[in-house]
Amino acid sequence: MSEAYIVGAGQSPFGSFPDETYRSLFDTAFDRTLESVDGELDTADIEEAFIGTLGVGGRQIGLSGPAVTEHLGLHGIPTTRVENACASSGYSLRSAVAAVKSGMADLVLAGGYEVMTDTSSDHTKWWLGVSGETEWERLSGTTFAGVYAQMASAHMDEYGTTKEDLSRVAVKNHGNGAQNPDAHLGFECSLEDAVNAPDVADPLNLYHCCPTTDGASAVLVASEDVAFDLTDDPIRVAGVGAASGRVGLFQRPSLTSIPATKEAAEQAYEMAGVGPEGLDFAEVHDCFAIAELLAYEDLGFCEPGEAGTLLREGRTDPDGELPVNTSGGLKSKGHPIGATGTGQVVEAFKQLRGKASVQTDDPVRGLTHNVGGSGGGVTVHVFERTSEVEP
Amino acid sequence: MSSRGIAAAGVYVPRGRVTAEDVREAWGAFQGRGIDAKAVPAGDEDAVTMAVAAAGRALENSAMSPNAVDAVAFATTTPPVAEEQLAPRVVQALGLSSETRTWHHGQSTAAGADALETALNAEGTVLAVVADAPVGDPAGSDHAFGAGAAAFLVDDDAAVTFAGVGSATDESPGVRFREAAEEEVASLDITGYERAAIRETTRDAIADLGLDADRIDAASLHQPNGSMPYRIAGEGVVSNGAVAEGTVVDRIGDAGAATAAIGLVAALETGGDESVLAAFYGSGGGAVAFAFEGRLDGDEAATLDDGERVSYVESLRKRGIVVDGDVAGGGANVSLPTWRRTLDSRYALTAGRCPACGALSFPGEGACDDCHERVEFERAPLSSVGTVAARTVIGHGGAPPEFVELQQRDGAYGAALVRLDARDGDGSVLMPAQLTDCDHESVAVGDAVRRTVRRIYEQEGVVRYGAKFTPTE
Repeated sequence: MSEAYIVGAGQSPFGSFPDETYRSLFDTAFDRTLESVDGELDTADIEEAFIGTLGVGGRQIGLSGPAVTEHLGLHGIPTTRVENACASSGYSLRSAVAAVKSGMADLVLAGGYEVMTDTSSDHTKWWLGVSGETEWERLSGTTFAGVYAQMASAHMDEYGTTKEDLSRVAVKNHGNGAQNPDAHLGFECSLEDAVNAPDVADPLNLYHCCPTTDGASAVLVASEDVAFDLTDDPIRVAGVGAASGRVGLFQRPSLTSIPATKEAAEQAYEMAGVGPEGLDFAEVHDCFAIAELLAYEDLGFCEPGEAGTLLREGRTDPDGELPVNTSGGLKSKGHPIGATGTGQVVEAFKQLRGKASVQTDDPVRGLTHNVGGSGGGVTVHVFERTSEVEP
Repeated sequence: MSSRGIAAAGVYVPRGRVTAEDVREAWGAFQGRGIDAKAVPAGDEDAVTMAVAAAGRALENSAMSPNAVDAVAFATTTPPVAEEQLAPRVVQALGLSSETRTWHHGQSTAAGADALETALNAEGTVLAVVADAPVGDPAGSDHAFGAGAAAFLVDDDAAVTFAGVGSATDESPGVRFREAAEEEVASLDITGYERAAIRETTRDAIADLGLDADRIDAASLHQPNGSMPYRIAGEGVVSNGAVAEGTVVDRIGDAGAATAAIGLVAALETGGDESVLAAFYGSGGGAVAFAFEGRLDGDEAATLDDGERVSYVESLRKRGIVVDGDVAGGGANVSLPTWRRTLDSRYALTAGRCPACGALSFPGEGACDDCHERVEFERAPLSSVGTVAARTVIGHGGAPPEFVELQQRDGAYGAALVRLDARDGDGSVLMPAQLTDCDHESVAVGDAVRRTVRRIYEQEGVVRYGAKFTPTE
């Protein structure tokens, strides 16, 4: 199977943009993606597109992929809308990589978008719950904050994880996001602020929950021939992993772990030929503070129950041994559902090109981790700098 | 002679209590003579959920299998919908047979008598259930209105035997009525006329029964307030001591058609060697009186004194008097037919057992959660008492829109994953469910909780009922 490379990646600013539409946001993300490509790229060479969106608000439920690619003038190319909730564009990247690796296409666009802040608060709430298990989970009165809060309650009960541990996720990620010009909530917060914020779904408070965000992101995936034509420094997609799990938390064997993350990580590490110790940074899915802690454990950064310690010891800070969410993560950078997965890849691309707002020290390899819902669908990708690994 | 009568009874009174003092403080007066406190139903309670709770207790007290019930006679003046049978909901929630015959009674506070008489005159094992939660003008008639339910398991060879019925009819409108399509129960407040109508017609029904006053040990008389039963009993009709045994309105308020029925349970639990009298008055002008002999074991009346004090403002919120329940439409939806498919799991708490690997899956549909084989599950009943495996409290702003009204009424609510063991002891499953009737913040992982049937939410005018959990302690 041939290799797949990232030759360009870009995102719109993430935030609340009532004057933008999903098309105009995707337009910006696409422009920035093109700008990030070193060589001359003819957009007519883009052969296919995979676009992730949940479709929040019902603004374009059907054909929501072609609705943006045709708008961009990527006329006539096959476009597939990918929907796996918050992991939609993690999966659109996976599809693009598969198209390139199979030899069906040499240059494929993967991306995603979501507009979440321009509807009434009632309407927004209806849409927040749509990716949970509807018949039982939602009708027990929970949206995702509630389900992740339940996981937090179980983790606290089993491992003694504390509210301070949860709050440190916010402190770290806001510290990083404050330096990211594209972040939605680009301000710092203190541990005291985070601990004392008002409750949303006990034990999770406002600082333990990511915002709802408008935004778009895109990535260009190329075959070896095309990639090295466009740049001397393409980023290799070294590992690809994905897995599904029961949509409802109550149907899964663990309340303190996301089995699909473990499975996806195992696949990605095996393909990349490295383990977590081979990573220089990671962008993990921190939709809620507990999710980042679970990610540490499920991705093998530490043993089960040790995530709080890892964070407390600063080992995932920008100057730690494995910086996590240098972009600010979903917490600070924002979480425009369909745009989040490829948005994480934008940060990985920047890190490996030395152009990140919180730049880690000469990284070679990084990981992105994108979770749909409370763990019904997960992608894990490992990216590698070619200029260093394949001189 | 057959000893048909009441084999067992159950009482349910909502947990909330507001005191007459608190109402008086809010309004400067309290229009509920002889009432010290009244029961306040939670936002997820109505006549159906209270009926299920009372009937469940009656079944429990009888130690009878739900399958033994042949019919249900259901009575309420406050049905959650104006037209539609409600007894099928009660039948399903209690896990009774699909062959169960149902009857519905309403229209006045004598509806409970109608249900009881239907059950006594029928054949086989019949549950007579009466539940009510009237509302009125907050400035006046509503002061007295409480809530509650009573259920009677009527059977042959019963502990309490039915010894006769008397009745009287005398047109006297305007005493207590609810106009078509109105929610509030009203009265013309012509005090002398109303008192006389109630007193005389009820006395006539008691006279028709032909019991000597000194043969009545305990009596539950029509009791919209604390003084009316004594007015009826006066002039030697029934002794004050007997009336006191069957008067409950002082502790739960005027629970409509249910008050005299709850009073009857209290009277039957304290009755002596002679007769127990129950006299129901229905405004419009009808009264029915029953005589019973015997005594019920049990302490259902003790639940009348339980409860959790709520403020007057909380009581208005809980009962929806100051809450607008409109919900905007949107994304997540469970269609009514889909909901109906899950009723067995929701009410009876059943999972599926995989015939391939023996593991349990909840709900018992699709592939096995454990071995992932596509199988035809065997129905596996679950215990109705479980343990909290994970929990949260959904605060203001965190609720999905269909639960916003509930939150406005009852405040922040707990949502838990409850671990339920199979009744045969082999394996367990997790069920997502709301908590109710508790201090939600204090419920912790590991706490024991018990199932209760409540309103989950209402969509397109149709109420959906299902299981919620409440701490056993």
